[in-house]
Amino acid sequence: MIEVQHLTKRYGPTTAVDDISFRVEPGEILGFLGPNGAGKTTTMRVITGYMPPTEGTALVAGYDVATHPIEAKRRTGYLPETPPLYPDMTVGDYLAFVAAIKGVPRRERKSRVQEVMKRTAVADMSNRHCSKLSKGYKQRVGLAQAIIHNPDVLILDEPTSGLDVKQRSETRQLIKDLGGDHTVILSSHILSEVSQTCQRVVIINRGRVVAVDTPDNLTSRLRGEETLFLQVDTRGADARPVLEAITGVRHISPSDVKGDLVSYEIGSDPGRDIRRELASTVVNHGWGLLEMRPLRMSLEQIFLELTEKEGVPETPDGEPQSAGTGGEEETVHG
Amino acid sequence: MGNILAIANKEIKGYFASPVAYIVIGFAAILFGWFFVNLLYYFEQASMQAGSGFQGPQAVNVNEMLISPLFLNVAVILLFTLPLVTMRTYSEEKRSGTIELLLTSPLTDVQIVIGKFLGGLVLYAAMLSVTVVHLAFLFIFGNPEWRPVLTGYLGLLLMGGCFLSLGLFVSSLTKNQIVAGMVTFAVFLLFWVINWFASFAGPTTQAVLNYLSITEHLNDFARGVIDTKHLVYYVSFIGFSLFLTVRAVDSERWRG
Ligand SMILES: Nc1ncnc2c1ncn2[C@@H]1O[C@H](COP(=O)(O)OP(=O)(O)OP(=O)(O)O)[C@@H](O)[C@H]1O
Ligand SMILES: [Mg+2]
Repeated sequence: MIEVQHLTKRYGPTTAVDDISFRVEPGEILGFLGPNGAGKTTTMRVITGYMPPTEGTALVAGYDVATHPIEAKRRTGYLPETPPLYPDMTVGDYLAFVAAIKGVPRRERKSRVQEVMKRTAVADMSNRHCSKLSKGYKQRVGLAQAIIHNPDVLILDEPTSGLDVKQRSETRQLIKDLGGDHTVILSSHILSEVSQTCQRVVIINRGRVVAVDTPDNLTSRLRGEETLFLQVDTRGADARPVLEAITGVRHISPSDVKGDLVSYEIGSDPGRDIRRELASTVVNHGWGLLEMRPLRMSLEQIFLELTEKEGVPETPDGEPQSAGTGGEEETVHG
Repeated sequence: MGNILAIANKEIKGYFASPVAYIVIGFAAILFGWFFVNLLYYFEQASMQAGSGFQGPQAVNVNEMLISPLFLNVAVILLFTLPLVTMRTYSEEKRSGTIELLLTSPLTDVQIVIGKFLGGLVLYAAMLSVTVVHLAFLFIFGNPEWRPVLTGYLGLLLMGGCFLSLGLFVSSLTKNQIVAGMVTFAVFLLFWVINWFASFAGPTTQAVLNYLSITEHLNDFARGVIDTKHLVYYVSFIGFSLFLTVRAVDSERWRG
C-alpha cells in the first residue's frame, strides 16, 4: 500500500533522510521510531506529497507521489506534527472545509463531518473556534481532519504528543481501530507507544533505517546477550562464586536479598542456553530454586542500543554501515 | 472549480471572521466619503462659476468633473487597504502550518492560488460596493451617464486585481505577515508613483514607465473607454503575478 524506495531528502547541505526503503502492507500499522531529528517528519512529508524527494520514490496505493500527486493525495490522510487548524474557524466549519478540499462529495460532507466528530470525540466542540481548543482537542480535530475522506493511507506524525495518559490510550485505541480499514504509519519517539499500537516498527536514526521488524522480533534479535532472572533460597550461603563457575555465564548483577531469598540477573553468552546447568547446580547444592525466567529487553533498551551503535562510528558516504546494524539491511525491504 | 470555490469561500470567511474585512471596508468608506465630499464641493463651485461665468452658461459634465476623478482617487485607497487583504494569505498559512494541509490535499497549486485570489477579489468587491452608495446619490439628484460608471468599476476591479495578485505573490515569499504587508505596500507605492518618474524622463522611457504604471491604465476606463490595450495589460499583469506565486510556492516545496 505504501512503498518507499531509496528515498533521500537533502535540505541544502544537510541530509535529513538518507536512502530509506520500506513497505507497508494494506491494513498494517507501522511505527516509525527515531530520536529527534532522525528524519521522521521529513519522510512523512515526502510520502504525503508535501515536498518532493531529492532522490528515490514514494508510492501510495501504487501511485508515485511525485508524478501522480493528486491520485496519491486523494488516498492519503495526514496529521502533521502541529495540527493544521485555522484559529478563526469553528471545528464544524473547519472539518466541512477539509472535506471539501479532500474531495468528499457535497452530499456526503455533513454526515462525514458528524461521523468523524463522533469517532474522535470532538462533537461537543463543533461550534467552538479552533483557537480556543485545548491541546488534546486540537490533536483530535487534527485526527478527525486526517480521516474525513476515509483515505486508504493514514500518515500520523506524533499523534499522541501533548496528550495526557487517558487521551493517549484513547488515541491509541482509535488508531488500532483505524488499522485494518486503513494502512497507517505513525511516528513517535515514545517506544511504549509504538510497541502497543504497531505490528511492525521501523527504527531510523540520522536519516537511516536502523531496523525493521515486529516489536517482538526486535526484542529477541537484539538480545545479543541472554539474561536470566534467578531467585533462590540459599539459606544464607553465597551462591555467586558457584554460579559464576558455570560455563557460559558472563556476569552476574548485584544480588537482591530479601531474608533468605536472593535474586540474581545473570547474563550469558548469546545463543547458549544455561538454564539446565543453572537449575542442576542450584539443586545439587541443596538450595531452593524458586524462580527462573528469561528477561526480555524492553524496546526502550533496544532503541537506545540501536541508536547508540549507529551513532558512534561516523560512516562516510558509500561505506557499509557499522557491523552492529549491517545485518538489518535485508529486512528493510521485506 | 469546486476546489477553487472551496478555497475562495474559506478565504472570504476568514476575512469576515477576523477584523480585516471590517477595517478594510470601514477605512475605504471613510476615505471614499472624504474624496466624494471634496470633489462634490469643487464640482459645485465649478458649476456655479460655469453658470455665472463671463463666457455664458457652459455645460459641466458630472462624469468628467466628479465621477472620473473620484475613480482615479480610489487608487490611493487601494494602496493602503489591499496590503491588509493579501498580507495574511500565504504568510499566515506558512506560519501556522496549515499550508501543510493545503499542499497535501488533492489540489493543484494553481487552484489554491486562484482560490485565494478570488477570495481577495470578493472582499475588494464588497469594499467597492460601499462606493456605490455615494454614486447612487448622484443618480438620484443628477443625471450622469451610465457607461463611464460601469467601465470605471470594471477598471477599478482590474486595477485592484493587479494589486491583489502582486500582494499574493509577496505574501508567498515570507512567513511573516507584517513583513509581507510592508513589502506589499512598498511595491504598490512603486507601481503607483512610477508615472511621476515618467514626467522627468525622456519620451521613450516615459512611454515605457507610463505603460508599467498600474494606475495610468485606469484613465481610459474612468472616461468610459474600454481599450484592449489596457485590458491586456491588466489581465496579463494579474496572470503573471499569479504565475510567479505558483512558482514561489513550488520552489519553497523543493527547498523545504
Ligand atoms: N525545513 C528544513 N530546512 C532545513 N533542515 C531541516 C528542515 N526540516 C528538517 N530539517 C533537518 O532535517 C533533519 C530531520 O528532521 P525531521 O524534522 O525530519 O526529524 P524528526 O525525526 O521528525 O524529528 P522530531 O522527533 O524532532 O520531530 C534534522 O536534522 C533537521 O534539522
Ligand atoms: Mg518530527
